[in-house]
Amino acid sequence: MSNKIVSVWTDNNFWKRSAAWITGFSAILLIWLTFDTLGQITQGTDTDMQKDAKGLYFSKRIPSATVINYKIGYEYSDKRGHEVPTINGKEKFFGRDDYSEEEAAALLHLGKLGSQAKNCMNCHTLLGNGAYYAPDLTKAWLDPKWKLMMAITQKKTREEAMAEFLQHPSKYPTHSRRMPNLDITAAEAKGLVAFLKHMSAIDTNGFPRNFGKKDITLRERSAK
Amino acid sequence: MTFIEPFTDMVPSFFGMLNQGPLTLTIFLHTIIILPMFFIYRQEKVRLEREGKQ
Repeated sequence: MSNKIVSVWTDNNFWKRSAAWITGFSAILLIWLTFDTLGQITQGTDTDMQKDAKGLYFSKRIPSATVINYKIGYEYSDKRGHEVPTINGKEKFFGRDDYSEEEAAALLHLGKLGSQAKNCMNCHTLLGNGAYYAPDLTKAWLDPKWKLMMAITQKKTREEAMAEFLQHPSKYPTHSRRMPNLDITAAEAKGLVAFLKHMSAIDTNGFPRNFGKKDITLRERSAK
Repeated sequence: MTFIEPFTDMVPSFFGMLNQGPLTLTIFLHTIIILPMFFIYRQEKVRLEREGKQ
């Protein structure tokens, strides 16, 4: 090697090769990430659901639509360091616990379209998307406050109380920021409640943080 | 408190493993991007010196 002083920093070739490496590597990484995500976002089937129901936890991050036939819990996991949705046997949803995969999926679809048509995200947050003017709806199904709504609306079940509230929100003011009347029909309300119930069973790695920690975990623990 | 926390993701994945701590992904990406740049730098330096000699 000679002692001649050379500047690599001003050399075009160095920057060209570095840029090629970074661009090429990032492109491969992003393509890999795209396929890697599929496992995380693939919805489980009813067969998975029935298998999972023998245990406590879901095997898929997004359970089948038939999860509306089951009682969903929310338990603190010491291993994971946050709450995880759990399955606690069958539970009637609007009087039935035998929704087929097609029926349940149709109900969820109706709820999803309803949530988009009524622009829930304008005030609420769903799975991290939306606003924080009104309460976060990601785990709304699990909110123990629906028990109060059952008493106020004089309904026997949580889903009926939720559907009643959604149809006539101005009749049941719960907050200083009142939910406007959105002309939600009974069918739409049923779909929306199914949509929210399914969403609460999605494993969101504990999001939203500390949801109902005091209300649910302590109450359920003391009940055991 | 352990240095390497247990892997607790719902669906195991390579990127999940890289994302278990606040700096793990950053350190990995810097290693994989910056180290080859040192290699490229050295190669180019040698080439420039050789060309300068001629």
